[in-house]
This record gives sequence, C-alpha cells and structure tokens, in this order.
Amino acid sequence: MSVMTDVSPTSLPITTTRRFARSIKRLIFHKGWLAVLMVLVIWQIISFFLGGHGLVPSPARTFATIWEVLVTGEFFVQLGDSLVRLLIGFSLAMAMGMIVGVLMGSRWFWNEFFKDIVILGLSLPGLVYALLSVVIFGTKLLAPVMAILFASYPFIAVNMREGVKALDKDILDMSRAYKVGKWKVVKQVILPALLPHILAAIRTGFTIAWKASVLTEVFGATSGIGYMIRFNFQMFAVRGILAWSLLFGCVMLIIEYGILIPAERYFARWRPHLSEEVI
Amino acid sequence: MATTAVSVQDLVKNFGDLRVLDKVSFDVEESSLTTIVGFSGCGKSTLLNVLAGIEPITSGKAEVVSSKNRSARLGYVFQSPRLLPWLTIEQNLVFVRPEGVDETTHLERAKKYLEMVGLKNARNKYPYQLSGGMQQRAGIARALCIEPAVLLMDEPFSHLDEITAGAMREEMLRIWQETHRTILFVTHDMQEAVELGDRLIMLDYHGRIFVDIKIDLPRPRSLTDRVFINFYSDVVKHLQKMQSIRAEELAALGVN
Repeated sequence: MSVMTDVSPTSLPITTTRRFARSIKRLIFHKGWLAVLMVLVIWQIISFFLGGHGLVPSPARTFATIWEVLVTGEFFVQLGDSLVRLLIGFSLAMAMGMIVGVLMGSRWFWNEFFKDIVILGLSLPGLVYALLSVVIFGTKLLAPVMAILFASYPFIAVNMREGVKALDKDILDMSRAYKVGKWKVVKQVILPALLPHILAAIRTGFTIAWKASVLTEVFGATSGIGYMIRFNFQMFAVRGILAWSLLFGCVMLIIEYGILIPAERYFARWRPHLSEEVI
Repeated sequence: MATTAVSVQDLVKNFGDLRVLDKVSFDVEESSLTTIVGFSGCGKSTLLNVLAGIEPITSGKAEVVSSKNRSARLGYVFQSPRLLPWLTIEQNLVFVRPEGVDETTHLERAKKYLEMVGLKNARNKYPYQLSGGMQQRAGIARALCIEPAVLLMDEPFSHLDEITAGAMREEMLRIWQETHRTILFVTHDMQEAVELGDRLIMLDYHGRIFVDIKIDLPRPRSLTDRVFINFYSDVVKHLQKMQSIRAEELAALGVN
C-alpha cells in the first residue's frame, strides 16, 4: 500500500475544562498586574506629597469612593444610561461603517468617493464631534448618538474595506467552478473571511465610541458616566473624578476580556496560532 | 467509436489585447486521460478556466458534453488546494454539493472519496492541521465527490516534493482506472505528461495547438523502460522544434 493511507491526527483536542483552567492560570499570572501595582505605588507616592491639599487623593480613599458608588447602586444606574446611548450609537456606526467599508473595498468608484471623508473622520478628535453634537442637539438622546456615529464609523469602514480587499479570489473562483449558489458563497465563504475584520472593526470602533459617548455626556447630558465625571469636577471632588474614570476603564476591560477577545478566539478556531495559544 | 466528453471548437480567448488561446480545437473521449503541456503563460490554465466557466469565452466553443446523466458536472483540482480554511475537510466536501443531489447521498460520497484518497481519519480536521500533500488529496476528493463528468486538473502536484508527487501520481492513476472519469490534466512537466496521459496536447507560445499525439505506451509505465524513453525523447524533439521556431520569430522581431 502506498503512503496515502497513512494519515494520523496531528493534535489532541483541547477540552473545555482544560481551557477554563488555563484561562484562570493566565489571569493569575497576567503580567499586566505588575503594571497595575506599579501605578498604585506611584500614585501613593504622589498623593503622599500632594495629598495635603486634597488634590491627589490616595488610592485607598479613592477605592472607598468606588465602593460607595458601587454598593449604593448609583454606578449601575448611570452605567445603564450610558450603555443605552452607546448601543444605539454604536449599532448605527456599525451599519454605516460596514456599508461604506464594503462599498470602498469592492468598487473603485466608491473608494475614491469616500476616501477623503473617511480620512478626515479618522483624524478629527472625538471632542469635535462631542462639542458639535451638543451644540446642535443639546441634551437630547440624539447628541451622544450622533457623536458616537461620526466618531467611530470611519474606523469600522477602514477595517471592512481591508477585509473586502483581502477576500481570496482563488477561493471565489473555486466556488464558481463548482457552481456553488450565491447565498451559500456569502454565508460560507465571504462572511467567515470578513469575520476577523468585523471583530477588529468592533474592537477599535467600540473604544472610540465609548470615548465619544462619555465626552458628550461631559458637555451635555443629565445622566451617565460622563455626566458624573463633570458633576464631580464642578464639586471639585477629585476623588469622584478618579473613581468614576476608573470604573469606566474597568467596564471597558471587562467588555474587552469578557466578550471581544473570547469572541475573536472562538471565531478564529480554524487558525493555528490564535486558537491554540501557548502560555 | 468512443463518446465525446469534451468538445472545444475554434476557441479564442483574449485578455484585453493579449490573445491567450488562438483557435484551439480538440475533442476528448470519455474515460480518457489527456495531458496538456506548454510553457508558463501559454494558456493551459486559461483553457481549464474557460471550460469551468470561471473565464468567459471570446469566441468559439468549449463545452462538456453530458452523458450518463451526470448533468455535465465538472470537478476541478487546482494547483493549490483552495480549501476553505474555516471548514473541516469533510465540510469542505459538503460545501460543493451539486444541485439535485440530496444531502445524505452527497455526504456518503464525500466519505467514500475521502477514504479513497486516504483521508478517512482526517475528515474532521481543519486544513491547517494537514500537510500540503494531504490538503491536495482533500482537493482531489472534493473534485471526485461530485461524481463529475470531467475532471480538470491544473498542475495538481507541482507544489509537492517529488516523492509525494510520485506517490500521488500512482494513486491518481489507480483512482482514474477505478472511476473511469474523463481527465484533462495540465502540466508543464513533460515527463509527468508522458507518464500519465493517453494523449498529449502541446500548446505553443501563441496559445495554438502545436502537437496532438496519442500515447499508446503500456501501463504501468516505468520511467526507465526503453519504450518510455524513446517516446519521451520524441516529445522533447517537438519541444525543441517549438523553441527554435520561437527563437526565429523573436529574431525576426529584432529581439535577442
């Protein structure tokens, strides 16, 4: 018999329990903790020298405030308000970014048409959109939604354009030679190929959207995390500003590690290096 | 008289101003193995792409004549495996299920041909988990599982090392004799063409048929047999003639 029949599996399957144990281990030995520790130490030193004037509260006092905001439930009320705005704005940004990006990636005309607008959009700081939308829409829901939409859609469009441009023509030709139906090609060839780019678009777009949303709340809102930061600023409560900002950062990290990275890993399970990372 | 499986009449294919295929005409008999040889860029792959409907025809005709109720299905094995990386090997075969074949029948065929190419145990693997040779075999199983009227193969073994390629050629001949598929096999390797084919079509630099000969050597063929060597040297003579014509043409154009 020839070599053809000699085929053996090349790797063992990874069980769910093993994967879970691995992620716990990864969390405990996460190098990022060292950086957190370093920041806390520096913070403590600075507050020791400047703390007398109440300008830089110590980490301990700040965490007390965070605790207070958490147990009274205040944080979750404000977070809820911010999240609603964020989700509406970001969904619109995703829709617009995907349409613009797919058009740019697939047609020369549309690429030329949108190119400059998108570059302009990428380069303007979120602050500009926040200020403009507050001036135009005031404290209405539309203000943060518009700021989020225009601040984050260019990032989504750029990622989508690259995804469409990277589609494998050879695979599409293969599907054509085998006369595979159009819908099946979209579902099984195009979407999976775009998926990593869609996820990248979500990750970058979401960060920008959060920032734009909080900025808008700082200037023109009556609730939300950004509003709380401004409120504390007006009260001259540095502790409050720090507490709300840190909580905001934590939510971002939870979304990143809890949703976006696992999703990316799940959808990349057919790729050798992302799904079977060594620690 | 054997039935015709592929009929090509006065086929012309241009890419812009460039003529890639020039009035190519030939018929292929059912269950035969025809090898098409020529230099890079002579239009060999384009010929297969036109037959597969990937490239439109400029003029003329190129069709797969349906018989045995196989609705003229074409299996295509490419130079690279062209598997979908996010699907397992078996799912890759399921992906090409032709219209009119129900899912169970197709899955059974997929399993059968994966076994035939020696990939039974690898059917739930993703392509990246397989070696290049195994991926190429998966590509062959994919082409076979639609039970095609004609199998198009475009230098399927040129990316493999010589030992693997040799084993694959042997295996391909075995499958061909088992399944009686009509095969059009494109290669730039003259020796491979003579070793595999019933018939050899050589394209010249202008995308015209230069030589069209029957290879009536006994099988199995051995590269060290006297008859094989004689036949092969005849083919090489044709090749040399083609090159000298080319050199004259270039000289006439003033190119060194």
